Amino acid sequence: MLPLILAVLTQGDGDLVIRLQKRDPEALAQLYDQYGRMVFGLILRIVQDRATAEDLVQETFLRVWNRAGGFDAGQGAVGPWLLAVARNRAIDYVRYRSRRPEAPLEFNQTENPALFAGLHDDPSRFTLIGQVKTALEKLTEQQREAIELAYFQGLSQTEIADKMGQPLGTIKTWMRRALQLMREELGGGVAA
Amino acid sequence: MTCNELRSDYLLHALGVLEDPERGELLAHLARGCENCLAGLREARQLAFAMGAAAEGPEPSSSLRKRVLAGAGIESGTRWHWRTAWQAAAAAALIAIAAVLFQSRQYNAELADARQQLSRSGAENATLQAALAVLQAPATREVAFGPGASGPPRGRVFFNGSTVLLLASNLPAPPSGKAYEMWVIPRGGMPAPAGLFSSTAQGTALHLYTAATQVIQTDTIAVTLEDAAGANAPTTQPLIAIQL
Repeated sequence: MLPLILAVLTQGDGDLVIRLQKRDPEALAQLYDQYGRMVFGLILRIVQDRATAEDLVQETFLRVWNRAGGFDAGQGAVGPWLLAVARNRAIDYVRYRSRRPEAPLEFNQTENPALFAGLHDDPSRFTLIGQVKTALEKLTEQQREAIELAYFQGLSQTEIADKMGQPLGTIKTWMRRALQLMREELGGGVAA
Repeated sequence: MTCNELRSDYLLHALGVLEDPERGELLAHLARGCENCLAGLREARQLAFAMGAAAEGPEPSSSLRKRVLAGAGIESGTRWHWRTAWQAAAAAALIAIAAVLFQSRQYNAELADARQQLSRSGAENATLQAALAVLQAPATREVAFGPGASGPPRGRVFFNGSTVLLLASNLPAPPSGKAYEMWVIPRGGMPAPAGLFSSTAQGTALHLYTAATQVIQTDTIAVTLEDAAGANAPTTQPLIAIQL
């Protein structure tokens, strides 16, 4: 899986984004071919249901297709944006299903295309994917659970404390320590 | 707080789950154009991407690619467009009609039947084109109903200006002599009929309704089971009720 990810993601996205902005149908097909499995894997991990995951994959690509005009092809990488949109769609669905009262993830805070300026798709960056997996495996079970609850369920630290039955201060300590360990494991290349 | 104290908050902020007071502190840094925090957030977004990309899973179904492209109004595989496909279907139907003319004494009745089929195909084509236009419009809003439930209907409503598109599944075919009827209900007002429709044998339905006024003023979309001729007001409990 990882070699596939690396091979796919090391291709430049700038031209692809420009073609998406020009509503080139082949560009959407290429975007799906490059990222479709990755988007599906992420959404399925969050919603835990194949049929729902496929519905949300469709929504994700349609949203990016309709909003590509706001993306600066010269400044950012489409992959991080696409996965942010996918994660938001999936978490909004899980929140709706579980009747959690929070508002949907804020567009301007998490998936506004402008937020992805300055991100890169060069090969060295994408070795990061493997490093992240290794770093997560080195965390304690509780640290990893707290990080994954934030990422895959969109829970705040207060909600994580409720779910894990721990004081908020303990959760903050665990997460601070986990992110510090990840930063060390990733060689300081990421401000986790 | 210093930038160093905020470092562990970058990822939580990038994920949209950072709470106050830390969130307020970080936003204050960003509002001042703090280069450390801006760079830290970029790195955190890169990390978030890597975490998402590392979430391995099975292959999606082979039909998903086609669905994604169709959702954007694009045909996959062959480069046919809807119009081409329907023209080909119409041509095939006409050839079939010609054969019938030569082979059957009942050609008048069969020709009438074929004409009806072509008419239905044309109507379906127009509906699909209109539905795709709604799905593609940037101003279109959507509301899901019934997610996660196995029995009751589930699906989505897309609305844009004066048009409502209902896509539903788990909606059994109506009994003989009955049809589903959609209603648009303004806030504090009476339900107004918004068209009759049926569902397929697989329990899926697509219904498109264009109103005389802006749907944005509508508070609720509902669906009831009515006589096939339709009703002026709902006579049964709603099977679907979606608050916009």
